[in-house]
Order: sequence, then C-alpha cells, then structure tokens
Amino acid sequence: MKILYSWLSDFIENPPAPEELAAKLGRIGLKVEEIKKTGAACAGVTVGQILKIDKHPNADKLSLCDVDDGAGVMRVVCGAKNIAVGQKILFARVGARLAEGELKKAKIRGVESEGMICAASELGLEGYDNTGILVLPEDTAIGADAVTLFPKADYLLEVEMLPNQAHCLSHYALAREVCLFYGLKLKEAAVLKAEAAGTSVPVTIDAPDLCPRYAAIVLRGVKGARTPEWMADRLRAMGSNPKGNILIDGSNYVMYELGQPTHCFDISKLSGPEIRVRRALPGEKLVTLENKELKLEPGMLVIADAASPAALAGVMGGLDTAVSGYTDAILIESARFYPPTVRLASKTTGIKSESSYRFERGTDPELMMKAARRLAGLILESAPGASVVQISDNYPVKYQLPVIEIEPSRVNAILGTGISDGEILACLKAFQPDIKDSKPWKFSVPSYRQDIESVWDVAEELARYIGYDVIPAVSRMPMLPSNITPHWAVASEMKNTLAALGFSEVYNYDFISAKEMKACGLEAAGAVELKNPLSSDYQFMRQTLLPGLLKTLRYNLNRGRDSVIIFEMGTVYAKKGAGKAEEVNCSGLMFGDFPEGGFWKAGQGKADFYHLKGVMSRLFAGKGGFRFEKPKAAPVYFQPGLALEMKLGGSSLGFVGRLAAGAAAGFDLKDNNVFYFELTMGSAASAWKPEFWQKIAKIKPVSAFPQNWRDLSIVLEEKHEWADMDRAFSGVQDLASARLIDVFKGKNIPEGHRSLTIRFIFSSMEKTLTDAEVAARMTAVLEKLAKNFNAKLRS
Amino acid sequence: MNATGWKEKLSAIRDSFSISAAKIPAENPEALELRFLGRKGELALLLRDLKDIPLEERKTLGALGNTVKEEMTAILTGLKAVSGAPGPAVKTDLDLTLPGWPLPKGSLHPLTVTLNRMGECFSKLGFSIAEGPLIEEDYFNFEALNFPPFHPARDMQDTFYVDLKDASGKDLLLRTHTSPVQIRTMKNQEPPVRIISPGRVFRSEAVDASHSFVFHQIEGLYIDKGVSMADLKWTLETFMKDLFGSSAKVRFMPSYFPFVEPGAEVEVSCVFCRGKSDTVRCPVCKGTGWIELLGAGVVHPNVLKACNYDPQKWSGFAFGAGIERFAMLLYGISDMRMLYENDLRILKQVH
Repeated sequence: MKILYSWLSDFIENPPAPEELAAKLGRIGLKVEEIKKTGAACAGVTVGQILKIDKHPNADKLSLCDVDDGAGVMRVVCGAKNIAVGQKILFARVGARLAEGELKKAKIRGVESEGMICAASELGLEGYDNTGILVLPEDTAIGADAVTLFPKADYLLEVEMLPNQAHCLSHYALAREVCLFYGLKLKEAAVLKAEAAGTSVPVTIDAPDLCPRYAAIVLRGVKGARTPEWMADRLRAMGSNPKGNILIDGSNYVMYELGQPTHCFDISKLSGPEIRVRRALPGEKLVTLENKELKLEPGMLVIADAASPAALAGVMGGLDTAVSGYTDAILIESARFYPPTVRLASKTTGIKSESSYRFERGTDPELMMKAARRLAGLILESAPGASVVQISDNYPVKYQLPVIEIEPSRVNAILGTGISDGEILACLKAFQPDIKDSKPWKFSVPSYRQDIESVWDVAEELARYIGYDVIPAVSRMPMLPSNITPHWAVASEMKNTLAALGFSEVYNYDFISAKEMKACGLEAAGAVELKNPLSSDYQFMRQTLLPGLLKTLRYNLNRGRDSVIIFEMGTVYAKKGAGKAEEVNCSGLMFGDFPEGGFWKAGQGKADFYHLKGVMSRLFAGKGGFRFEKPKAAPVYFQPGLALEMKLGGSSLGFVGRLAAGAAAGFDLKDNNVFYFELTMGSAASAWKPEFWQKIAKIKPVSAFPQNWRDLSIVLEEKHEWADMDRAFSGVQDLASARLIDVFKGKNIPEGHRSLTIRFIFSSMEKTLTDAEVAARMTAVLEKLAKNFNAKLRS
Repeated sequence: MNATGWKEKLSAIRDSFSISAAKIPAENPEALELRFLGRKGELALLLRDLKDIPLEERKTLGALGNTVKEEMTAILTGLKAVSGAPGPAVKTDLDLTLPGWPLPKGSLHPLTVTLNRMGECFSKLGFSIAEGPLIEEDYFNFEALNFPPFHPARDMQDTFYVDLKDASGKDLLLRTHTSPVQIRTMKNQEPPVRIISPGRVFRSEAVDASHSFVFHQIEGLYIDKGVSMADLKWTLETFMKDLFGSSAKVRFMPSYFPFVEPGAEVEVSCVFCRGKSDTVRCPVCKGTGWIELLGAGVVHPNVLKACNYDPQKWSGFAFGAGIERFAMLLYGISDMRMLYENDLRILKQVH
C-alpha cells in the first residue's frame, strides 16, 4: 500500500522522520519496502518558451532551440522529438539544481548549450510521460519558478500489507497504529458537523446479515464542484488519476485517508428515489462504471433503487446512477458489507477494486458515519452553496465489542516470557485507556481490530508493543526420539549410492506438455491435468520421470557434453478411477562416453546396457531376493526386447533397458543409445529393511584352506542363456563361484554358436582340496553343461 | 667457581661441541643436543652454576652463555636438516603426471544436500520425518490451517487445481505449502508431536530469479504441554548455529500466517558480512545485517481444534522455510532457475 508521508503526518503530532518512521513500522510488522521521494526536486528551474528551432549542425537527432525564460534568450541543445515552437517548457539554466544534481555547462557535438529543456523525470516528477520533454499548459507564465507548479517534495512509502492488517489500510489507520504503539498523539481529520433530520431518499436494508450498517448523506447543489489542486496532487502521488470532479476524487481521497470506501449516487438517476440493499435477483444485470455488463447471481449483494441494481455492493458502482459534471444532488453511501460476500462477488465477476480489497479484509464497523461526514465536508468546501438534506444511519445489527479475559500468566506461557503485570497492563491501556485493573483483565477490543479474537492474538499485540526481542531463546523441551520413514531411509541410501556410481542428480518440474507425453508413447487419458496451467508446456502431471530426464539430456548435449549420466527421484502421477495415484519413482539414464570424460589408456567406450545393468546390480547388492527377469510387458518407452524387469522379494521394482527409438526421436536425439532405468520407490521401501540392525547382513565364515580354480572354455548354441547356466551350477560341491570371463564368437566357432570361458573357484571349509578332487568336481560341471545345454569343450 | 673459571669452562664446552659437530660422518644431532643442551647437558649445568657467582658479574656471564647456546642451537638445526634430506632422485620412464583412472564422479543436487543437512540439524533436536501427498484436498491445505473459504489470506498462495475432486466435490489441488502434513500428522497421532516435513510444493506464479512454480519447503511442528514462543526461538537459533556457525543469531519480527498466532518472520544475522558492510553493501543482507529465512509462530488454536487437540491443554509451535532460499545462500546462487536447469557443468560442482 502506498502511504504519502505528508498525509500521514496530518494525523500525528510531531511525526518521526521518514526513515525513522519506516523503522518503527517495521518493528511492529509493517514492512516498508521502499521510501521514494516524490514531487519536484529542483531549484533554479523556470518556465520558458521555445522561440525558434534549428537543426544541430553536427547531429541529425539533435536540435538547437532559442528559449526565452523571462530573463533572456538562451541557445540550448535538445534531443527530444516532441519540441515545437511556441511551447511552454521547463528550462534549467547552467547551475540549476535538478533531481540528479547540478546542471553543468556542456558542449554537445561541438555546440555549447546554455541550459536544458527538461523532461519530468529530470525534476524527479513521477507519473509523467518521459519519452520527451514536459510540455506545460499554454497559459503558464514565462519565468515562473517550477516549484510553484508542482506538488512539494514528499516521500512515498510502499508498505507491505498482510491479510490480517485490515486495520492499517489508510493514512489515518496507519497513523493510529504508530501513535498507539509508540505513545504519540493522534490528530483527527475535520468532518462535517452539521445535522439534518430530513429523509429525502429512504434507505432500506433487506439483507442485514450481509449489510449490518448503511450510513447515507444527501447533498444538493453540488453541481460543477471541482477537486482542489492539493487533493489532486495527493491522489496523483498515490498513483491514482484524479478526474477533477470532487464527487469522484473526494470519495477516493476519503478511502485512502480513512480506509472506508464510499460511493456517490446521482439522485436524479435513482428510481424512487430510494436505496434498497438486497440480494440480487435471478437474471438481474448491472452495467458498471467501467461499462462492463455483469450477470448478477443470487449470492451477490446489490444496492438497488426502486427498479434495479445501482451498484454491486462493495465492488463497483453502476454506470446508470454514476455522478457526472451535471450532477446536482447526490447520496453518499458509507456502508459495511459482509467480507466473504464481497470477496465472492469480486472473484465471480473478476473485478478487483480498492474498495473490494478493503471490504474483503473487513472494515471498521464504527467508521461509516465519520467517513460519510468527512466526504460531505470535503465536497462542501468545494461547493460552498450546497446544502445538507439528509444524514441517516441505518444500523440494524449493532456491533458488539468483544471482551477477552486476560490472565497475565497465560500470555507469558504463550510467549515464553516473564513480562510483568504492569507492562502487560500498559499495553492493554494503549488500546483501551479505561480498562480496569482487576484480574483477569477484561479487555474490550477496539472496533477496528476485528482480527483480535483470543488471548493468542493479545499475546501477539503485547509482543509487538514491547518488541519481539522480548522473547528469549531458551527451552526446556524434553528429549524425543527422532525417526525417519522407510521411504526416507531408502531414498537417501539410493541417492548416495547412485551419486557414488557416477550419476548426477537432477530436479525437473512435475509438469509436462501433451507433446512430451505423446513422444513417450503415453496417453493423455490416464494423466492428471491442471485446470489452470501456466502454459500448455506445463499442462499435465508427469506419469514418469522420463520426459524431464530426456529434456535434461538434450539440454546438456546442446551444451557440448559427450556423456550424460543422470538420475532423478520424484513423484509421478496418474488417475486411478475417480481418484489419483501418486508415487515416488527413481529413474536415470546413461548416454555417451564411458567412463565419463574418457581415458588415455585402453578401456574407453560408450555407455551400454551392461553398464547400466551393473549399476542396478550394485544398487541392490546384498538385498536378498533381488533379480532381473524378462518382462511380460515393459513400458512403451523401452525398446521391445531390450529391457529387463527388476524384482525384489516378489514385487516388481521397475525396468532397465534401452530407450525406444520413437521416444528418442521425440526429444530430438540423434540415436537411441540411451540406457534408462525406472524404479518404484514404494516397492523398494517395502522390501528394504529401514532398521539398521535388520539391514546388516550377518557375516558368513570363510575357509581357512587355500582355494583352487580352473578355467573352462565351452562351445554351445547361442539360444542358451547365461542365467540358466549360472543357476545350473548351484548343486556343484565346494563350488564357491563361477565367473564368466569371456564371450567369443567368430573364428573356429560354428555359426549360431558362441564360446564362453568360465572360471570356477572351489573352496572347502574342511580341508585343502586335492587335484583329483577338483578334477572330479570339474567333470561334474562339464557333465551338467553337456546334458542341459549340449555344450562341448572348446578345442 | 669464580668468573674466570666459569668463562674457561664455557670456552671448553664450546670447543668440544664444535669438534663433535664438525665430524665426518656427522654425529647424530639428537644425541649432540642431549649432551650439550639437554636438561642435564653440559651447557645447562654450567648455566646453573651461575648462581654462585656475584650478581654484578652474573649478568654478563649469563648473556655470554646464552649467545653460545643460540650458536649451538643454530648449528644443530642445520645438522638435523641435512641428516633428514632425501637421497638422489631416480629417474623412471613413466610420466607420472598423466591423468589417473577416471573413477565415476556423480553428484547430489544442491537442494538434496541442503535438505539433508537441514534435516540432520533437526534430527539432532528430536524431530522425526513425516511426509504427505502432493495432490491435496482444500481441507488439509487451507481450511484446517485456518484459511476459511473466502478469506483474503488465500490470496497469499496462488494455487494450481487439477481435474479431480475430493469427497466433498471440491477440486483437488497441488499443495501450496508443506503445512498440510501438520494436519495429517496431528489427526493420526496423540501429542507429543515433533516432526519436520520436507517436500515439494507448487504455486501458480511466474518464474523469475527468486520465484518458481515448483519449489521445496521444510515444515516443522512441535506440540506438547507448555510449548512457547521461547522454545521456538531456541530451536531455530540452535538450528541456525548448526547450519551457519556458532555466531549466528536469530531475530523475530511480527508477521502473519493464518495457522500461527503470534506469527513471526525469522531472520538470521548475516554470516557473510557479520553485519559490518559499512564500506561495500553486502549483497546478501542488503546491508541490513539480517537475512529473512523462515516463517514461524505459535500454532493457532483453530488449527489445534481442527485436529481435535484441546488448545487449553496442548500448545505448540510451527515453522516453515523454503529450501531453495537456503541452498542459494549456501551455494552462492543468485538465480533460482539455475536449480531447475540441470546444467551438468553446474551440478558436477556439488561435492
């Protein structure tokens, strides 16, 4: 919210300087984001007239102007396009002081300039077009000092307003807050004192639940009343655009000053004339001040005349009953509306106004009459001939001041402080000077503080009053055990292992586009869709982490990387019946040079399926029951036949394989040598023991005797798979391990066959095996291979 | 012994040392040191004899003795250096400066590292981890947290909605903060409750250097008997000291979050300039000496009531922080977008 320092100062006796004020506001939770100087900051700048314009001899875009500033004719260089002979302009002679400092003598492209024709910004003026020089009205007197033409220099404070600070939404309210918390004296605004008993426009409230109070003042003879210049200046400084009509500008002024929105109806346009506050009827419409037709709904509150709605309560007035330059009789409305009703109306119609902003947050129930009288008083100052015809205050539902019982011990228990009774009472007295000192204190909350409902709220006010530093950093919190969820435990372990194995963790957004989904071969039907996406790029919730990883791959390849080895852990989403399915996945991919960055010795190559399979084996090393299986069906983004399913215990963990060519093409990749894995964290977590003691595998004893080994090369048909052979060795006596050390096809190997070299290691717990014993076991191995796989010794 | 006798003795010791020190091959310098300068060494014993010599002469002799001592120490230092010197270099035909085997080097994301570290700090203080869904119901995300329908506080958090509905027919939404986990935990557990809940949150905001529509928070909640704002301040100050060093201090400023009362914005003293940015304005704290890092407060009675906790019996505190903000401070990142670009040149710098 914008606060003009001079305006705020109207209400504080001996106001603090702007910087100090900002610090004081910050201390009580009203953050001043910016202090900006406003008004004209200049000295020695006067009004001049352009007499003659010549081309600059050395520059196409510059002109030479003769300017008469009353004291003489000066020749100046000017770069603006909007200059014309006869214009009245702001002229600064060499030596004049401008917003940025003193104007120095300068030669511009070889021509000396005796001064400068100013743009508004050069005087520090805000809210003007700065594309050219500032052109003044024709009747401005030559030689007049610029400071007499513009508002005085002032400070504009930008104060951040939180939703619970409805009691600070005006200059007066903020002054009141400063005075209350810092013991300064508050000054009041002058309001209309007159009384009028008549009723020329009857007011009826049909919906007192939504409008508990409606104050109205009727004035006649206001025709042609203009907004005084001082008021227009303040409104301009606030960033509002004054219309010149006091009926409109005055209403805005009072809202900024007191926080109560008001509205003026032209009585001659009111049917009846009468005012009826009621719920909108089905099918009713209203054309707003901004000439927009609204379809009203029964939940909305309207201010109607005898015939139809004249305003959408608290949001915006109607065009048909709006005041104009010809308006002579007006009804000033100053009412209170139920905040949720105003918010609903504002949301439904999409109209956000300064008025709805304040009503939504809640206005002071006792402010209506004061605001109406303030506005009437301001209008009468501009229209001295006008008369007050009616002052009415419909107040069907009286506001009851809430009373909160305060025990000092309770307040101290909330804050963790030992604040004395005297200090607490001093704070309460600042709010309610007549509070009686008998405990529990009965604290009547001021009407403008509807956010204070309980002792917790009072504790906050006390902390603000004394300063939040009163709260010590001490604790007697008891010890409690710290637990982590199984998911958390597994996630941390998996991330650390993957990082140790060379994978870099990435974080992608959860949103993907329809195009990306299609590129992965996925259907939009099963995807959760955003109702209000930021753009079509972010329209669906990802069903797999793949799109993000492929985007990351593409991003890094485009930046010259030769290898990308990445993983991500994140949530994936899907629809499940009428509900949702949400689970955490861990996915990753390998692409390009391996090892990353290459190596000068042998061993350089490209990442392939077996590299990634090795990573998976390592990731689940020691986890009982982990195995790879040929999947019945792998997700569509895997190349068919080039993926394995991973299982832990009985449940599926996910898949590892090569990316389908279509998915690679969909993300502009040159080939599909992308090796990808996808794991479901839920399955991993359920099979994974989170408890440390359970996770630890018991150590198996090892043999005290030397081991023996034999290498065996066999030839067999390619259709036989290693996994089957590996399983077949399980019954061989004393066999510690059978390790595949070579796979060979080609010379001397029949077509459709391959040669495997396997190293068998034998070890007994009881003795050193003799050569004969090892030979016997090898014979058993060879027999198994011959019988099950028709394998022959390679000659 | 008189002064002359003492001088003669000193001279003899000095000669004897010189001869020993100059021998080739050299005597062991440690042994020489023990023999002459050790506690019961020749020179030490002689210096001790000074006490029998009259005061006026004692001073000059003492000075003389010390000069000799310094001389010996210097020679011994030289000897020690020589005896420890390496042998002549042996040349091999290997270029040992060639790069070593490139073991894989992966990396954790800066947000993971930051979050783990923060979680560790709170774990030491007895906070357990709690997690919740990302697609949430209005009730858990707003209503139970004291954001009534049609309350302007809802404007503080621009919300994404999805094409699914909850049991009451309201649109499901993407959680705008981790606070719904407070409600889910309290509804499932009797006090005391002491949890942190880290995770991803969503706001419908345009992306810029300090905003993202996807980001991460860590939520803290402690409910017990007699929990106060002072417990909160101690907890957060202890946490900040753990993360930013023992000089870190915490300051509370009044603020507003619907689910706490009193509410506070929590600032930590600027550990980067230590509040002394007089000459050059500190870019981190903008010269104020304080950095805004968290929102916190005493749990609002309406929140306790929503979870069927009696506010007269139980009280608690809650806090929440953006993990991106911490990561940016710790890693010196000035643009939040960098955390979601996944440029490996950046990510691989994280160890």
